[in-house]
Amino acid sequence: MESKNKGKDFCIFALPGMFCFFAVVIVPFLYGVYLTFTDWNGVAQAKNFIGFKNFASVIQDGQFWSSLLLTFKYVIVVVILVNVLAFAIAYLLTRGIKGQNFFRAGFFTPNLIGGIVLGYIWQFVFSRVFVNIGESTGWSLFEISWLSEPNKAFAALVLVSVWQLSGYMILIYVAGFMGLSEDVMEAASIDGAAGWAKLKNIIMPLMMSSITICLFLTLSRAFMVYDVNLSLTSGGPYGTTEMAAMHVYEKAFTSRQFGVGQAEALILFIVVACISGLQVYLTKKQEVEA
Amino acid sequence: MGKKVMKRTIAAALVMMLAVTSLTGCRFGFASDPDDPNEVEVKAPIDTSTDTFQYDSELKGTSITLMNSKAEIQIALEEMAVAFEEKSGVHVEVMPVTDGDSPYTKVVSLYNSGNPPTLSILDTTDVIALAEEKAEDLSSEEWIKEAEGYLTEVNGKVYGFPLCIEGRGLIYNKAVIEEALGETFDPAAVKTQNDLVALLDRLVAAGIEKPVSMAKEDWSLGAHQLQYIYETYDGTSAGAQEIIEQIKSGELKVKDHKRMSEFLSTFDILKKYNVAKGDPLGADYDEMAIDLADGKTAFWFNGNWAWPNLKEAGAKNEDAYGFLPYFMNNDENDFANQMIQGSPSKQVMLDGQFADDKQKAAAKEFLNWIVYSEIGQQMLVKTCNVIPPFKNNPYEPEDPLSKDIYEHVQNGTAFNASAIVPNDHWAVLGAAMQKYLADRSDKEELMQSIEGYWAQQE
Amino acid sequence: MKQTEVGGTKKKVTTAAAMAGLVIIFIAYMFPFIMVVINSLKQKRDIIKSPFSWLYTIKGLSFDNFVKAFTQMDFLNAFKNSLIVTVSATVLVTLLAAMLAYYIVRNKNVISNMTFALMVASMIIPFQAIMIPLVSIYGGTLNVLNHRITLIFMHTGFSMAMSVFMFHGFVKGNVPIALEEAAYLEGCTHTQTFFKIVLPLLKPIISTMVILNSLAFWNDFLLPSLVLTDKKLLTLPLSTYSFYGTYSADYGTIMAGLLLCVLPILVLYVVLQKQIIGGVVAGAVK
Repeated sequence: MESKNKGKDFCIFALPGMFCFFAVVIVPFLYGVYLTFTDWNGVAQAKNFIGFKNFASVIQDGQFWSSLLLTFKYVIVVVILVNVLAFAIAYLLTRGIKGQNFFRAGFFTPNLIGGIVLGYIWQFVFSRVFVNIGESTGWSLFEISWLSEPNKAFAALVLVSVWQLSGYMILIYVAGFMGLSEDVMEAASIDGAAGWAKLKNIIMPLMMSSITICLFLTLSRAFMVYDVNLSLTSGGPYGTTEMAAMHVYEKAFTSRQFGVGQAEALILFIVVACISGLQVYLTKKQEVEA
Repeated sequence: MGKKVMKRTIAAALVMMLAVTSLTGCRFGFASDPDDPNEVEVKAPIDTSTDTFQYDSELKGTSITLMNSKAEIQIALEEMAVAFEEKSGVHVEVMPVTDGDSPYTKVVSLYNSGNPPTLSILDTTDVIALAEEKAEDLSSEEWIKEAEGYLTEVNGKVYGFPLCIEGRGLIYNKAVIEEALGETFDPAAVKTQNDLVALLDRLVAAGIEKPVSMAKEDWSLGAHQLQYIYETYDGTSAGAQEIIEQIKSGELKVKDHKRMSEFLSTFDILKKYNVAKGDPLGADYDEMAIDLADGKTAFWFNGNWAWPNLKEAGAKNEDAYGFLPYFMNNDENDFANQMIQGSPSKQVMLDGQFADDKQKAAAKEFLNWIVYSEIGQQMLVKTCNVIPPFKNNPYEPEDPLSKDIYEHVQNGTAFNASAIVPNDHWAVLGAAMQKYLADRSDKEELMQSIEGYWAQQE
Repeated sequence: MKQTEVGGTKKKVTTAAAMAGLVIIFIAYMFPFIMVVINSLKQKRDIIKSPFSWLYTIKGLSFDNFVKAFTQMDFLNAFKNSLIVTVSATVLVTLLAAMLAYYIVRNKNVISNMTFALMVASMIIPFQAIMIPLVSIYGGTLNVLNHRITLIFMHTGFSMAMSVFMFHGFVKGNVPIALEEAAYLEGCTHTQTFFKIVLPLLKPIISTMVILNSLAFWNDFLLPSLVLTDKKLLTLPLSTYSFYGTYSADYGTIMAGLLLCVLPILVLYVVLQKQIIGGVVAGAVK
């Protein structure tokens, strides 16, 4: 598009989208950043500039840092599991197996259940089904509800997140596989290359842009996990599964320290931005230029 | 394939729609105890024939909003708003606070959006937080004198209209106890901690293995149970405040606080007889209501707000449920062993910043209407099913739990102490209590958490 | 949908194993949804005491929950609101994002690089961090809350970053520049080229984005609850408020309400699946 009508193209193609984005996301965000330097509590009329005082409070908030550490642990496990699973399932679902559309619709269902229902259903699974299995088989793994023991509650959180996020990523990977030309897929099959080699040498490089997207999405979503956290464990048992985003929210609204909560949100943002920036940079390098 | 699935989905949707519209009340499957499909929810009749309330005709056509954070009375409030509009011409729009929002968050975001509710139903701590910044001073309202003892003051001024009294304690199911023991049960005969233990042991002997239900929710543990250590100091809000100040300043060590050890001794008793003893943090709130109604348990630590849950679980208005005190020790003369906690829980705040004079007047009229008009009085008690904190309200609540609290209030066997604690008290210390409940911490650690929490407050 | 039946028995065994694994995982994925369907027909007591039994219940199965949900939600009105908001926002964001992404891919300049970087970064802003600033700008300063159009605009803005990101990846990988150059040679303008050549090639990703975005708009709770307070404007998820109590919730009705809410999305998904396949076939022709 290297033409003389540069300005016109910009106005037609880029401006409307950019306007929406800047007006709704960037401007409020900058305003939010400004608020972290004030003592505003969310309701007061006065906003006094207090410099870095809120950030000093963040440093002292040990709970925030431990929740951030826990979030790191969670993110690593979730990102790996989600992507391996979603990639594998999407691959199988684009191989023309019988009933693949039916399957695809099924794998789509995690996207349909959100909010309190999601938490409620899964609570049932962990505190009833598993406990029932435990009672009838005597497995100590299922003796008590997973949600009442810190490590198992964490595992439960991971499991549900993987279930939910992979439902989403399958869609994107499926679109990616669909975007590959039939020749590539067929060539890969006919070559008779062993499955793994075929995957590694032919499919993976071509799927790199989907992988970049999915990694990025899982990474950012896992870092900001809130809904599942709230509806499944609400941070329990006794606060051991409180992730960073939930802590930020609790800080701002339950503890009523709005400025500190806002500052923590900003720090969370910077951390996630650095990590996913690095990820995008690394995976983009792997992408095959079209 | 895609086409087939699509057809199937559409067919299923159509079947569902048809079913929804035509099969109302029809049941299928193998039901062991189906409901009578003709059973209709009976609404308490409201007598609207007499109405001596003076409406200000100037206010006709004014429109105000009421934000409701007490979800169980949402429909009732909407009905009240309609009744009020019919008489006064003032339109009251009732806005619910929904899942995922705390009332405080909601009201803060509404203030920021420049469109706050004229009236908001909030918890007492929320009103205190917003009072001087946003709320209208209600100190000179007429209903103040009817609600004596149930008002919260901020620097000598009243900013909240107490909507209802809520009480809590050990809920018992009389029929279950009587059936198990084969004798009449007189709650007044249980006077001390030892009496309670004796009763529990007899129930166990009679076959109710674990007679107590205890919620694992942090609000139940951290607010409703733990706050007894402040509120039973002398049974007044001022006393609770005093003990909090002492703990905060470090003057009183939590482990030296007499009510703390007493509270833990009672808590340990409940813990021992807890139906979910094997996995106390796996307990389910709804199941507790069913267990109590079915007689799997005989006691449930909770408040009169639990009635809708018990009702859903099959309890009827004519059943005998009531409260035992949260026994603190074995002294029959200790007020804590004689009285039930009952205090105002929800407050209505009037916006003083955005509402215009007419809206303020209309909102005040609505509040007065609740207190003074025959219709408002009836609807508060019968439609909303709450315990009125207003002395002039002649109506009695109908469900057994509210009735029991109401009677305790009338007979002077209820104490009214609200500990004003920071807003995250229930969450932070609720977690500490959960840990103790699950036997993953000891008394020492729990008391340290409480001390640590208070040390952090300014 | 032709299967490439090449390879020996070993391959067949692996395929069968993969198939079996797929079925098991599939059931695990479907399980919660099946639970919702079963329990939407039951009364609360049965849901709590025997959530998994299908046939043997105390109160029996019925469509009462659906009837109750339907009436209490003021379903038709809420459905209309959701439809207007979702369709407008989806169309808007899909079109604008596709154009912006296309522009960014084909124009390497400071503005487009900066915008793209900002967008990627913005996707990790926790919504809670802009919630209060957002309402104070749009409510307090501009006073435009409580209008559908505001909600549509905000939905568009919030999903712009991810949509651009997705389109960007796809355009880069799957749209050969040679086709466009050919179009220019034949005298097409940029706008014509985009709509006639590029957009059809984007079909698979458009279908995906339409599904993902419309699902997000349709089910979103937090943003509409901040923007809309007028009862007449409530969207479907907002209209289920009366099923939630302070201490407990009306689970049967919630699940029935959920099914009523998601049914249209499910239908849309099934319809669009065909489009995704169609898009690939078209891609193979090139």
